[in-house]
Amino acid sequence: MNRKIIHIDMDAFFAAVEQRDFPQLKGLPVVVGGQPDSRGVVATCSYEARRFGIHSAMPTSRAYQLCPHAKFVKPRFSAYKQASEDIHKVFNQYTDMIEPLSLDEAYLDVTEAEFCNGSATLMASEIRSKIYKTIHLTASAGIAYNKFLAKLASDQNKPDGQFVIKPGEAELYLSMLPIGRFYGVGKVTEAKMQASGIQTGGDLKNKSLLELQALFGNSAEYYYNISRGIDDRPVSSARVRKSLGSETTFQQDISDVNEMSGHLLSLLNEVLASLSKRELLAYTITIKVKYANFTQVTRSYTSDSVVSVHNKAKELIPVLLAKTEVDQKSVRLLGLSFSNLISCENYTDSGQLPLF
Amino acid sequence: MKIKIQRDDLLTPLQQVIGAVEKRQTLPALSNVLIKANDNHFTLTTTDLEIELVSTVNQMMNEAGEITLPAKKLLDICKALPNDAELDIEINGDKALIKSGRSRFSLTTLPASDFPALEDISSIYEFSVPQTLLKTLIEKTSFAMAQQDVRYYLNGLMLEVASGIIRAVATDGHRLSFCEKNINADLADNKQVIIPRKGVSELLRLLSDTDEEIKVILGNNHIQCILANQRFTSKLIDGRFPDYKRVMPEASGNNMVLNRDGLKQALIKASILSNEKYRGIRMIIENNLLKLQAQNPDQEEADIELEITYEGSPIEMGINVNYMIDVLNTSSQETIQGFIKDANSSCLLMFPDENEGKYVIMPMRL
Repeated sequence: MNRKIIHIDMDAFFAAVEQRDFPQLKGLPVVVGGQPDSRGVVATCSYEARRFGIHSAMPTSRAYQLCPHAKFVKPRFSAYKQASEDIHKVFNQYTDMIEPLSLDEAYLDVTEAEFCNGSATLMASEIRSKIYKTIHLTASAGIAYNKFLAKLASDQNKPDGQFVIKPGEAELYLSMLPIGRFYGVGKVTEAKMQASGIQTGGDLKNKSLLELQALFGNSAEYYYNISRGIDDRPVSSARVRKSLGSETTFQQDISDVNEMSGHLLSLLNEVLASLSKRELLAYTITIKVKYANFTQVTRSYTSDSVVSVHNKAKELIPVLLAKTEVDQKSVRLLGLSFSNLISCENYTDSGQLPLF
Repeated sequence: MKIKIQRDDLLTPLQQVIGAVEKRQTLPALSNVLIKANDNHFTLTTTDLEIELVSTVNQMMNEAGEITLPAKKLLDICKALPNDAELDIEINGDKALIKSGRSRFSLTTLPASDFPALEDISSIYEFSVPQTLLKTLIEKTSFAMAQQDVRYYLNGLMLEVASGIIRAVATDGHRLSFCEKNINADLADNKQVIIPRKGVSELLRLLSDTDEEIKVILGNNHIQCILANQRFTSKLIDGRFPDYKRVMPEASGNNMVLNRDGLKQALIKASILSNEKYRGIRMIIENNLLKLQAQNPDQEEADIELEITYEGSPIEMGINVNYMIDVLNTSSQETIQGFIKDANSSCLLMFPDENEGKYVIMPMRL
């Protein structure tokens, strides 16, 4: 039996929450993120701001050039988190199989839900209208028989709209879709595909698995499947956190390695605190360095014992930093994260005693 | 440059130097082998910037010169040719032409000037030892080296030379191996060096079980070992090796004597049901009896008993079964001797009939 998956994607979520809470912002270009004179980036912007060519992840200084009269607002994460929780209460009325992707996006598996005579399309419009009535925000929805198609569909009639891809319609829909809109096809892959004569999903489908393997190696099977609308990934409600980290962008590029170590140490303390709040331990530590020219490297270390303890991680920071080019290049951003996580509950010490 | 050579005469030295060629390279020239041809011999050189391997082939040359060629491809070509094949190698512009029978290969070259030269090794100590002696030292100790430990000085083998004595020591912080041999070297004071893991395994490949001597040169930053037709050089790990003497217990106290092979079989049986990750087993040592107990997370259990010679007080301790097996694999002696103070102290293992290797293992908490 086909599954029924709904992908809900809030429209310009952070900006919409700001416009809801501060009505004077309604109808104006709103940019949530760093201040225009800072070096932050755009987290979200309202649809009014998008008309000026502003988009998320763009430096706010650039956004300011594009639209100097935009309202630049600092993010209020607690408000977004609250709104997200409210939205999830609506989801919960329909199913408990919810996989959040972020604060403003989630997959719902409503295969077993008996509301609306089992019509996922009607459930999606009810969910959207309940969100609008109770939380005063608009959402878009995609309805399909797997996650990949549902996510594509939610983009189709955005904002404040929905779209259904029924079994039997997927292949036609995908065959006409520009290749860049496929999830998992970024700019580089898009260019590579176009160079190989793949412009649309149809072109992709015409390639045999062998041809794709020659072009894309290990990713070939993924492309082969998505061009046919095949995606068997379940909606996993208990999403396991894979990594935890934090990063900081500096007001001015820094080139003093000691200063960098200092910043990494405070990031370390911050991340260790949130790890211990979640009762997690980690086997891998990673530092991220973005140089002044925006190129970025990560360096990580994996141990067979836990590295998310202050003394051990503290020792590792200079070792990892030495594997970058920070002694020659100045740095605009530093990040630190832990991965290979294990919950304290599941952790058992090997009990091996040290020699020295 | 022109070389005419029998396939086997090129294959052997290429196999001797291929170990330094890494798949992932930072410099294009590092995937190449440097060939330097003189009138009556040529040399093959490879490096990964940490170690350098050189092989010399005595051969009358048609034309001297130097060039670098893709090492792995050249080796694959040699391997693919029949045993009695003869190769003609000739440099033509930026290509190397290799002809053998009715096969033709054209390989891309890089100039010899692109190939990183080794820094000068300022020799501080020089001595010669039989190859088999150095080989035994490494084989008996290198298994205990750490792998990618933050304490980078543990990721290698410590070699110590004193007057008349050479020692090798390796430790990963949980166990330690030590081996000592007498040599004919008259040195004013002790010299300690740490050879990185990769260098240790390449050095081992170079050595054979003969009494033929190998010349060892220790510099401030390098170790170099020289045979008639081969030369091995490795950078040293710049760090202070832990004071191994401090963690080696005295050969005294509760003394147990076991049959090496019997113990090994018992450990292998117990290891089947030990925790796959941590490898801990329980050792219960009683009057002339050793019990091994293993339990895995699925609550499956193994109980093995073994007769031993032991008359001390009973001891119950946890130990990594792999560490024990590693030690037993270093020797073919019939008897092994163990000294154990208590469940929280390191234990000392040695083979009484050879008396050159000493092994220290720290227990696990039960």
